[in-house]
Amino acid sequence: MQGNKVAITGVGETAFLRKGTKTLMHMMAEACLSAIADAGLTPADIDGYIGNRMVPGSDDMGHAIGMKDRAFSAVTDVAGGTAPAGQALILAQLAIEAGLCRHVLVPYGIQSTKPGGVYGFHAREPLKAALEMPVGFFGQPTYFAAMANRYAYDHGMSEEELASVAITYRAWAVLNPNAQRRDPMDLEGYRQSPMISTPLRAADCCLTTDGACAYVVSAVDRARDMPHPVVQISGVGIGTSNFPHGILFTQNPCIYDYPGAASAAKAYAMADVGPKDLDLAQVYDGFSISALVQTEMLGLCERGEGARFYHEGHARPGGRMPVNTSGGHMSGGYVPGINLLIEGVRQLRGGLGARQVSGARLCAVAGLGGNSHSTTILSRS
Amino acid sequence: MGIPNYPVHLEDPQLQGFYDGLAAGELRITADPETGAFVWYPPEVVPGRPDTVLEWRRVSPEGSAYSFTTIVRSLLPGDHKDEVPYTVVLFESDETPGCRVPGVLVDADGLEPSCGMRLRLKPVQVGDHIIAGFAPIR
Repeated sequence: MQGNKVAITGVGETAFLRKGTKTLMHMMAEACLSAIADAGLTPADIDGYIGNRMVPGSDDMGHAIGMKDRAFSAVTDVAGGTAPAGQALILAQLAIEAGLCRHVLVPYGIQSTKPGGVYGFHAREPLKAALEMPVGFFGQPTYFAAMANRYAYDHGMSEEELASVAITYRAWAVLNPNAQRRDPMDLEGYRQSPMISTPLRAADCCLTTDGACAYVVSAVDRARDMPHPVVQISGVGIGTSNFPHGILFTQNPCIYDYPGAASAAKAYAMADVGPKDLDLAQVYDGFSISALVQTEMLGLCERGEGARFYHEGHARPGGRMPVNTSGGHMSGGYVPGINLLIEGVRQLRGGLGARQVSGARLCAVAGLGGNSHSTTILSRS
Repeated sequence: MGIPNYPVHLEDPQLQGFYDGLAAGELRITADPETGAFVWYPPEVVPGRPDTVLEWRRVSPEGSAYSFTTIVRSLLPGDHKDEVPYTVVLFESDETPGCRVPGVLVDADGLEPSCGMRLRLKPVQVGDHIIAGFAPIR
């Protein structure tokens, strides 16, 4: 697969709310129609659809938005942010290059306030139910807290250094009118955030969001005649480890070793660029600890230096390598992976006001989900 | 410090061997009878050899904490706010490095939990069930 063959030609999203009133279908339909209109298209122009196993598929969504011909449809088979921020782009490019369709719609949404909560799928894991839940080891913040303590043991990490991740993303969110959390936060504010599992506070965790996003992928040749500057997919790579979900969080030899280095190597090779060429990055911030480790894996700093990279201010507004310029998942909104990808597209288009990264032409987007990881390199042609 | 009180659900009956071990005051880990290698957690299918039935082996109750976290807000289904805080350790027996057993840290008053801290198995009775507990070796 070669880079710079397809582009993201339309993007759209709903408002990101702590608790919304609309159904997931409703929110996704809104986001789809917004993305299609942003691309200067109508629903009848969309002939490709890439769904996600966690949300309604094209049988329902095609009807809801008024598609006419679903010539190509597929579902991503990786979890979390890896799917919409990476694997969906691979499938879209394959389908477009094979001549199966012209414009591929990729929607994703989340209703965090749905009954059963966001951790229901963990409770259904037999190994977790048998060995972990009886000792109270349960829920994403707890798993990632254990990672943070081990990371601190291996590499050193002070409270201030860990806090700087959340403080950095909040500083960006303050500049984003559409961010979910726009109240400024300094170290004292961080310390007032409730502790969940040591050392992770609520401020170290992604937000609880009801919302949806969608984007349209088209051939670069077509994109040149569409409304926006062309933002192309220069590289995309997927990394995987072989630990199933029930085993991953405890038995991975290094519990914070996500397959991000592998995905980044593939994406950089495909794009023929390196981390030093980037103008900015969007990093999947389910938690501060996982974000700072992926920051290392993208090559934005040395391994073991992620916490200090943030503490030194490099990722903040005005820093040398802006990260999560919308506020990320921890302050902007949490529609896994996809709102980070869309922020990358918007930054490369330009015109974002106070949070615009000057001269942004190359952006990496990291997606994490279960035992898989994606790196996508977006470029403005 | 508190103690979590959440029932043991054994959807996979092979996991009963772990709790039989705790009831006997022992730490038991699954191993592949053919290769002798420890395989932990016991997966539904042993990679590449779906017909393999793992066996339980008693291992040293002494080891160290690979990592830990103190749970301040319980995320377990239901109301468990009266049970926090408690510290969960990921314990590695000296005989099975890399095989991590989650358990509650007990008898640790005055000690800060840490990676590498030396621990010994001390099963804990919680209501009508038993759970893995680990106490510092002082």
